[in-house]
Amino acid sequence: MENTAVRGLAVVDKLYQDYGCRARELKNQGRRVLGYLCALTPVEIITAAGFSPFRLKGSVHEPIIKADAHMETIVCPLIRSCFDLALKGRYDFLDGIVIPHSCDSLTRSYSTIRYTLGLPYSHFVNIPHSTKDISLEFLKAELDTFRRSLGRFVRREITDEDLVRSIQLHNENRAKVKELYELRKPEPPLMSGAEVIRTLVAAMSLPVEESSQLLSSVIEEVKGREKKLSGSPRIMVIGAQIDDDAFIRLIEESGANVVADSVCVGSREYFPEAKTTVSPLEALAERYLRGVNCPRTYREFTGPTYQDDLEARFGHIGRAIREFQVDGVILYILKYCDPFGFEVPARMKYLESLNVPVLHLEDEYSMASIARLRTRIQAFLEMIAK
Amino acid sequence: MAEQKWPDKYPIEGRRGRKYGTVAAMKVAPMVKAAIGGAVEAKRQGKAVAYCFIESIYDEIIRAMDIVPMWTENYAGICGAKRDAQRFIDKADSLGFSRSLCTYATCGLGFDAWREELGEMPPNAPWGGQVKPDVMLSSGQIICDPRNKWYQACQQFMPDVPVYNCAALWPLYEDDLDRHDVEAYYVKYITEDLRGLVRFLEEHLHRKMDWERLWEVIKLADETTDLHVECRELRKAVPTPMDTGDAMNTMVAQCFLMGTREAYDFFKELRDELKYKVEHKLGVVPEEKYRLIWPGGLPSWFALTDFNYFWSKGAVFPVESTYHELVYSTKDLDLPQTDDPLEHLAWKWIRRQTYWWDKAKKRPGSEPDVEKLITWIEEYKIDGVVIHEAYSCRSWHVGLLWQVNQLSKIYRPIPVLTLKGGKKEVVYRELPSLVLESDMIDISSYSEAETRAKIDAFIETLESIKSRRVEV
Repeated sequence: MENTAVRGLAVVDKLYQDYGCRARELKNQGRRVLGYLCALTPVEIITAAGFSPFRLKGSVHEPIIKADAHMETIVCPLIRSCFDLALKGRYDFLDGIVIPHSCDSLTRSYSTIRYTLGLPYSHFVNIPHSTKDISLEFLKAELDTFRRSLGRFVRREITDEDLVRSIQLHNENRAKVKELYELRKPEPPLMSGAEVIRTLVAAMSLPVEESSQLLSSVIEEVKGREKKLSGSPRIMVIGAQIDDDAFIRLIEESGANVVADSVCVGSREYFPEAKTTVSPLEALAERYLRGVNCPRTYREFTGPTYQDDLEARFGHIGRAIREFQVDGVILYILKYCDPFGFEVPARMKYLESLNVPVLHLEDEYSMASIARLRTRIQAFLEMIAK
Repeated sequence: MAEQKWPDKYPIEGRRGRKYGTVAAMKVAPMVKAAIGGAVEAKRQGKAVAYCFIESIYDEIIRAMDIVPMWTENYAGICGAKRDAQRFIDKADSLGFSRSLCTYATCGLGFDAWREELGEMPPNAPWGGQVKPDVMLSSGQIICDPRNKWYQACQQFMPDVPVYNCAALWPLYEDDLDRHDVEAYYVKYITEDLRGLVRFLEEHLHRKMDWERLWEVIKLADETTDLHVECRELRKAVPTPMDTGDAMNTMVAQCFLMGTREAYDFFKELRDELKYKVEHKLGVVPEEKYRLIWPGGLPSWFALTDFNYFWSKGAVFPVESTYHELVYSTKDLDLPQTDDPLEHLAWKWIRRQTYWWDKAKKRPGSEPDVEKLITWIEEYKIDGVVIHEAYSCRSWHVGLLWQVNQLSKIYRPIPVLTLKGGKKEVVYRELPSLVLESDMIDISSYSEAETRAKIDAFIETLESIKSRRVEV
């Protein structure tokens, strides 16, 4: 694929349907590809080392066949699915894998994944649970350990200048995603939620420069559209990770437009930028510890009331609800997701305080379980319509 | 099964179930009752009570500051053992906490929600109930999301109770990483965070840390651990004088009471009992046939009698990983000298967590947890592995399957000729494994008939392997 051909939604569909095709192509051309899972992986360091970062995705359409021989079924189904696809050879172009300390499912699976896949390189980035200043200092040191480890693997020093350039590229990429989200603000939105998720998934399979080019071309194409979406209830989806359009399509086929989210792959990981006014490691530590608002990171009680604490933890959701004129929220939680699971009542309480209708769903990351949600989603949308 | 000739020194008259279990373990139940009931009484007397997690990093600190711990995971365990956890789990479920979450946590959250609604303990709360604390001490470890999130979720019912989330990270094993290259910044982080914990406790509980006393508590805790290590070593004997069924009780002294004279005395007494039993060849079962390892994971607290079922088949567990993750003598940890007790705690924490790293480095493809198991399988003369996969706990159970798979690469069903005591022996290094599935406290996930059928089949496998061992 020539860079000039990285254009528009047609390319998005190709990259989405044949996920990893561009990474395989790059690998065949001699470029190294480093896989990762989770929004807490500092991709800037991967790019700075000269790799193409490639985020592993699962598939709700494929049964998990190979993973269960190595990994317990109580692991997050999305991680099991990613691992299963890797075992099936879908990601055989990877030179290595990076896993961050995000949740128990991922952390406890690190040994299983790295030994079973037997890739030339692997690394675990330890991210503290709290956002205190001393946690920031720790994370800087830990990111430096990762930088040095990766530097040993590529046999060259990854300098601060490399990191600064990479941070700039990834910040530009994130700015493009924000621009893309602007297209969801009008009523009706210019772009469907399914198109957005497919675009973001396609983008996460590319080197950052190509990812930004793809986003620019999609924005340009969508802005020039004549056909508008129909006016329907505007839905926000909140949850851990969505890397497949099946669930979003189900909502939209049920008569709504998904216009906002607080998920990965989505606003949670793309909206926070890394600062350019401090040292690169400090900028990255700050971004991944305090910027990416994932429940795996404990945010200290700010008080004085519980409602104040909820506002501090979930205020970004309230702001998105207002900015994107959201009519209803779907809290979409994957089974065995501990960080989100412990927050469900608190998130429900917060959303109820905003007087926004909420539907809480628990899913198992498979077409079978997603299809079972249809009736509840339809009933929820009917309730909003009243 | 033949009876053993048993000394009066450790009477077995009137015992049910674990007839040849340790006398020390029999003293545990009252200790637990005192610990749980003690928290209720302490609160009544106006003493400071903290929600705590066992085997975190702050035991010595809370003891030195006269804070009464309420071990919340273990209270859930007690509810489970009394087969009375379900109503609290159901309560949490009704509030929106998923059934797939840690049932220790959902039991505790359900209990707290109910207690706060009523303004008093839920009816017939096991052993007096879980008292509302003055502070909650989370544990932001590298694993166990519930320890990071549970108390934050509690604040929905108790927003007036402050939380301190302790940093208790440790590095994960990497092939290209020397632990000594990273431990300094881990120790610095943990030390400073513990300093934050002391400030938090001083501020919220209106007391000052007595640093001399903290050193004394640390010294006592380290000496207690040394005794515990001695006990574990004594269990290597054939027949083993104590097994996992007992260890799931004696863990109380280590986990609930570390840093107290009571814990020290308990392990001293246990050590003496084990010494005596080893000298007199008194085993857990009259005729020890199979020696098994419990490589990690939590038991079903409501079904500890499953261990008795193993005993009835002549199978014993001389060693387990559960509750032994941190039981290493400070003498073996080579801790750097420091005048700062908090730094000492941080070094101890990190060195214990990385205890098996250096050994793992010597075997490509291994890793610390696997290396620990290999070492113990050899030292304790283990014939088989039994793991329990508790469906609601990813923290301690995910990865066990992989560890067993790694072991199966080493212990293969092929004959190996060895020289033993001047005699040639064909040894099959096969190490069969049994996977039991249930939960720590959710009894609805358990089937006694299915569990025992699996155990029966496993024993047959062990017997079959044993019968294939032929001397030449």
